[in-house]
Amino acid sequence: MEQFVNALFNGLSLSSIILLTSLGLAITFGQMRVINMAHGEFVMVGAYMTYVVQNIVAVVVPPSMQGIYYILAIPVAFFTTFLLGSIMERFIISRLYGREIDSLLATWGISLILQQAARSIFGTQGVNVTVPSFLEGGITINGCTFSLNRIFIILLVLMCLLGMYLIMYRSGFGKQMRAVVQNRSMAQCMGINSRKVDNITFAIGSGMAGIAGCSVALLGSIDSTVGQSYIVNSFMAIVLGGVGKLAGTVLGSSIIGFSGIFAEQYTSATIAKAIVLLIVIVFLQKRPQGLFIVKSRSLDE
Amino acid sequence: MKKLKNQGSNICFLVIVILLALAPILAGAGIIKSTSMVLFLGKCIAFAIVAIGLDLIWGYTGILSLGHGLYFCLGGYAMAMYLKLQETQGGITDFMQVGGLTELPLIWRPFQNIFVSMLMVFVVPGAAAGIIGYFIFKSRVKGVYFSIISQALTWAAYSMFIALSPYTNGNVGITEIKSLFGSIKGSGNIDNMMKVFYLALLLLVLAYASSKYLVDSKFGKLLIAIRDGENRTYFSGYKVSKFKTFIYVISAVFAGVAGAVFVNFNGSITPSQMTISYSITMVIWVAVGGRGTIIGAIIGAFLINLCEYNLSSGSLVDIWQYIIGAIFCITILFFKGGIVGLVKERISKVDRKTD
Amino acid sequence: MEKRYFKKIAACTLALFMAISLVACGDSSSAGSGKEDTVKVGLLHSLTGSMAISEKSVRDAEVLAIEEINKAGGVLGKQIVYVEEDGASEPSTFATKAEKLVDSEKVATVFGCWTSSSRKAVKSIFEDYNALLWYPVQYEGMEDSDNIVYTGAAPNQQIVPAIEYLIAQGYKKFFLIGSDYVFPRTANMIINAQVKEAGCEVVGEEYADMDQTDFASIISKIESAKPDVIINTLNGTGNVSFFKQMSEKNYTSKDYMTMSFSIAEEEVATIGSSILKGHMVSWNYYQTTATEKNKEFVAAYKEKFGKDRVTSDPAEAAYDAVYLWKEVCEKAGSFEVDDVLGAVRSGEISYEAPEGTVVINGDNQHLAKTVRIGEIGEDGLITEIYATNAPVDPDPYLKNYDWAVKAGIQPLE
Repeated sequence: MEQFVNALFNGLSLSSIILLTSLGLAITFGQMRVINMAHGEFVMVGAYMTYVVQNIVAVVVPPSMQGIYYILAIPVAFFTTFLLGSIMERFIISRLYGREIDSLLATWGISLILQQAARSIFGTQGVNVTVPSFLEGGITINGCTFSLNRIFIILLVLMCLLGMYLIMYRSGFGKQMRAVVQNRSMAQCMGINSRKVDNITFAIGSGMAGIAGCSVALLGSIDSTVGQSYIVNSFMAIVLGGVGKLAGTVLGSSIIGFSGIFAEQYTSATIAKAIVLLIVIVFLQKRPQGLFIVKSRSLDE
Repeated sequence: MKKLKNQGSNICFLVIVILLALAPILAGAGIIKSTSMVLFLGKCIAFAIVAIGLDLIWGYTGILSLGHGLYFCLGGYAMAMYLKLQETQGGITDFMQVGGLTELPLIWRPFQNIFVSMLMVFVVPGAAAGIIGYFIFKSRVKGVYFSIISQALTWAAYSMFIALSPYTNGNVGITEIKSLFGSIKGSGNIDNMMKVFYLALLLLVLAYASSKYLVDSKFGKLLIAIRDGENRTYFSGYKVSKFKTFIYVISAVFAGVAGAVFVNFNGSITPSQMTISYSITMVIWVAVGGRGTIIGAIIGAFLINLCEYNLSSGSLVDIWQYIIGAIFCITILFFKGGIVGLVKERISKVDRKTD
Repeated sequence: MEKRYFKKIAACTLALFMAISLVACGDSSSAGSGKEDTVKVGLLHSLTGSMAISEKSVRDAEVLAIEEINKAGGVLGKQIVYVEEDGASEPSTFATKAEKLVDSEKVATVFGCWTSSSRKAVKSIFEDYNALLWYPVQYEGMEDSDNIVYTGAAPNQQIVPAIEYLIAQGYKKFFLIGSDYVFPRTANMIINAQVKEAGCEVVGEEYADMDQTDFASIISKIESAKPDVIINTLNGTGNVSFFKQMSEKNYTSKDYMTMSFSIAEEEVATIGSSILKGHMVSWNYYQTTATEKNKEFVAAYKEKFGKDRVTSDPAEAAYDAVYLWKEVCEKAGSFEVDDVLGAVRSGEISYEAPEGTVVINGDNQHLAKTVRIGEIGEDGLITEIYATNAPVDPDPYLKNYDWAVKAGIQPLE
């Protein structure tokens, strides 16, 4: 029983991390059809921003209050990657709309540049983020330990999800965004500045990666290659869930997260990873468009 | 004059082949001091062959595979397993011993024989691609979905190769092997090196000629039709998925052969050639050279590899990734046709002026 | 119009980059070749890719040693010029670059590699070209090559004594965790044999993926196995995730003691000393090792690369490698590989290293080294809690250990 609860919690936690890294992709890939291979590097930027904020706070604030750095780091990471995404959209992505595969290759070049930039700025060695005191350790209930920072990440994901939902489906901007995605020329005719909408949409997607970076920083190493470990899983989650649907992304991430944890119970980590990927691939044989399909009468979707 | 222009890519290829053919002779005569450059060019030939294969499916058919590293490795491993067994005279290898095996595993047995092994270089990647392609194309997975699935598949295969380390030696791969004709490294082995090099060059010429033939035939036109309007082709009564599977298999076989050539020059094969980043790099060779032209794939493979070879050393080690990243980015942003496209554009401009 | 303009600029930039790339080889190679009073050596490490995290410090230590030697008058009256190549964390790139160094650049020797996969990929190249490689990292053993000098620890200079120490301390149940590659697999094969011989028990053996970020499952496997001590051969980023995720479950060294073979001062800094406090490691050298030579080394390293940098065992072994090469060349009186190798095999080369005196074993070209078990402190430094009385002779195949021979750990004939 204990073991099962543990596994359940671990699965939930892993799913939430995958979901957090794929939320941004759900916008940039799901809505805008841009395959941003540099998304993982935005996660890395977010993680490094956490480190930077930590070091600045360490100088300014008395030691007892150190923990607040993390609260500050989340918005800082969001806005840094938001800005970075906005710049990238303006100069690179905007030239690649409608060229999905080219966007993949061009952003791959960007990701090489960002990785090298991280090495140039922060050195090749990884850097360390100390877990803030209020997230240290875990609570033990009936022999099961639930770590606080994992609970925090789950809450963070829920908040991001809520925020995304509000932006996409409950705000004026979200309406404009969906309008541009559905029918660009019609939206333009209605007076929507589609260039601006594109730019902000992409920037929000990138900003989500920054937040993901903050949470990743708590759990593992922060170095120039950290983004690469997350990117494939995130893309798989999006494709599995069905491109363009938020609910699909949630479900896709959960399937990958939970099946990963449960497979690892019985076999080694490496084989578990292969099994999960194969399950997803076989599944996509049955439903090539993913779990949630955006209904369309268009032939070339 | 006009005829000459239509032969542009052939002439270009001829020049490349002649230049390559001269390299080992010059090295043999001592004019090029280092044989290592020739060995590197040999690896580039392997890369060019896999690039041709990728170009066939991406440039001509419009299917972007981000998993050609897998087929490259399958061919490479088939070759390496044969060569390794030559070293151990059919006995088990050190990594099998560490993995707890006492006798040669079944999967290694066929590779004791040279003919079977050479056949495997073609059959294993071809069969793998056939099975994968059949299912994926049948369920009409297209475009980026295919790319992402192929990427995941490669990653899964990579994990399996690592996990099955008693059979594959994990991420160290199969090392310390000589070429088909014996050792090719060092000054005493220039004859062997020449043999391997010219064999590789011959394979490149064959790959070029056969793919040229393929794309100029009716079948090639059909591939372009699939690329430009898959549904229209489908409605015209062609079984698109069959054609796609077929060209996918061909391209995988090219990759497998390339892997086998690569092993001969490299002296080892590791799963790192199977990683996603390596597979994407292969696609970028084609993109930079010029997709949709066979010669472009070859030029791209040579150029990017030469760039990386020269850049990642000496005083540039700290910035070479910036330059490579920028080259990728700029080419794809501004020159969709790659280098070959750029040249073509220039020529037609000059033409218009002279006319 | 604007678009055209962009395109032109892009074309020019592209052409410029390509031109740089294709002629760039000139500037590094011409630097030293022209002059008579210099000798060229190669440095071959990953400066990009996933292994750059570890290899940079080793490369830095080599550069430091080269500069010190040059300042002191060079080797055999010649100044050392180094040619650097990036292996890009990729074995086949290592192979290509090794050929380039020994054949095109004609370097006298190469200092390089970190991972076993990169070393195995270049081993036959150094043998075929009859060149010389100095390999500065502890590794899994089961190898020797006439053309490689191993300045890191063989298994019997790191793993075996550490397990002996743990058994002597009364630890009975061992849990083995490692990354899924050759060093952990081989190390665990050795440990399994050794632990069984001592009448103790291995209660679990798990391998993590190289870029694994989530260790929750492995940790719950550890929980249910209830070991006394965890033998950790994870490398690089895996260590960070593993220890961070252990600590979020409130586990410290009091709950689960770990003995790590890939955590040195550098890694402690990235994981956080508060998490690692009290855990054990096994190496031949620590920044705190009390020798006169070490004080100088640490001071010089910090002065050159920054106050917050720390020295570590691999960095020290790399530093030694350069000095040992100098000693060897001076004994041989020449830079020719055959002469140098002759001097290496004499078995008479020793050097007063920061870790104490090291001697090159003429038979297997490894170093005799003192083994030190250390405990990680609050300040991020490692203090020695046990050390062998004298340097331990290298035995890469564990031929002198009965239990290893009994378990069939030996090279194929």
